[in-house]
Amino acid sequence: MKDPIQNVKSAMTNQVFKNLSFSKKRRQSVNDAIREKKQISGLASWPEDTLAALLNAVKDEAQDGYAISSILFRKQDRTFETKEGELYTLLHLLENKEILRSHWKNDRKYYALTAKGKKYLAASADQSAVDRPVLRKLIEEAAL
Amino acid sequence: MNEAEYKYDLSKGSAMDEHNKEDIVDHLIDVYGDRILHMAYTYVKNEATAEDLTQDVFIKCYEKLDQFHGRSSLKTWLYCVAANHFRDYLKSWHHRKVSLNEKVLSYFPSQNRNVEETVVARDDEQQLSEAVMALPVKYREVVFLHYYEELPLADVSRMTGVNTNTLKTRLTRARQLLKEMISEEEK
Repeated sequence: MKDPIQNVKSAMTNQVFKNLSFSKKRRQSVNDAIREKKQISGLASWPEDTLAALLNAVKDEAQDGYAISSILFRKQDRTFETKEGELYTLLHLLENKEILRSHWKNDRKYYALTAKGKKYLAASADQSAVDRPVLRKLIEEAAL
Repeated sequence: MNEAEYKYDLSKGSAMDEHNKEDIVDHLIDVYGDRILHMAYTYVKNEATAEDLTQDVFIKCYEKLDQFHGRSSLKTWLYCVAANHFRDYLKSWHHRKVSLNEKVLSYFPSQNRNVEETVVARDDEQQLSEAVMALPVKYREVVFLHYYEELPLADVSRMTGVNTNTLKTRLTRARQLLKEMISEEEK
């Protein structure tokens, strides 16, 4: 009898793998998962101090983006000095993670700390002397 | 399906920014999506599970792409990630629980009758492919990579971490088993 294995390729193609294809839907799931991961890593690139300063800026009352950037500037935080657009990316990210909530007033978007955000800020203030990047860790874990 | 179309040059140490990584994964899905799915199926023999695992593989690729330094081809690297992932799955608690359930179910008579019915009308190709799928996983793995994907044994060795000589032995044994299974049916 001749070696059956020579026909493996066509046999597998025609029989086993016949209707087996990686669907668009599955591909979309991969893309979604990647986007999700990107968001998390997006947070990792911000300094802990900047995160803390940003959350402190909106702790007591809601502020719009311009006010937030002036507050950061007064605190000598130059993170967004040349790239103001990125402040809005970060604000949006924190909103997605329910650390901030926003509302529109007179064509301006105001950001305020949520209960969850307040909790994290308080927790990080308690521990910051021992372990620096507490805030970021808390927020990152919240996404998982 | 042609690797020659693959244009990303990663070996030159070009900075791999986030956007680029996403593009690469997208391209890998274009070229290898179906093939990795087929490979997954040969390990787990279940369509939904194979799809889940394939999805995982491409997500893993995105995460690990920084660790790819162009020492092997991107294809070899991808298959290596895939083979490890599929093997880990077979070892996992979840899989062992599921396959035990299936074994228990297969003792019910209604299932056995089903198998007999399908045996009646079958051509050679069907026989062979079913025999391949019935091989123990270590043989199925090398048969798929070497005879279906037509990869040289040196590459298969790199992907699976199995010695080339061991692979040769496994292929010989796999061929024997296939012959036995097929001639068994022809009696």
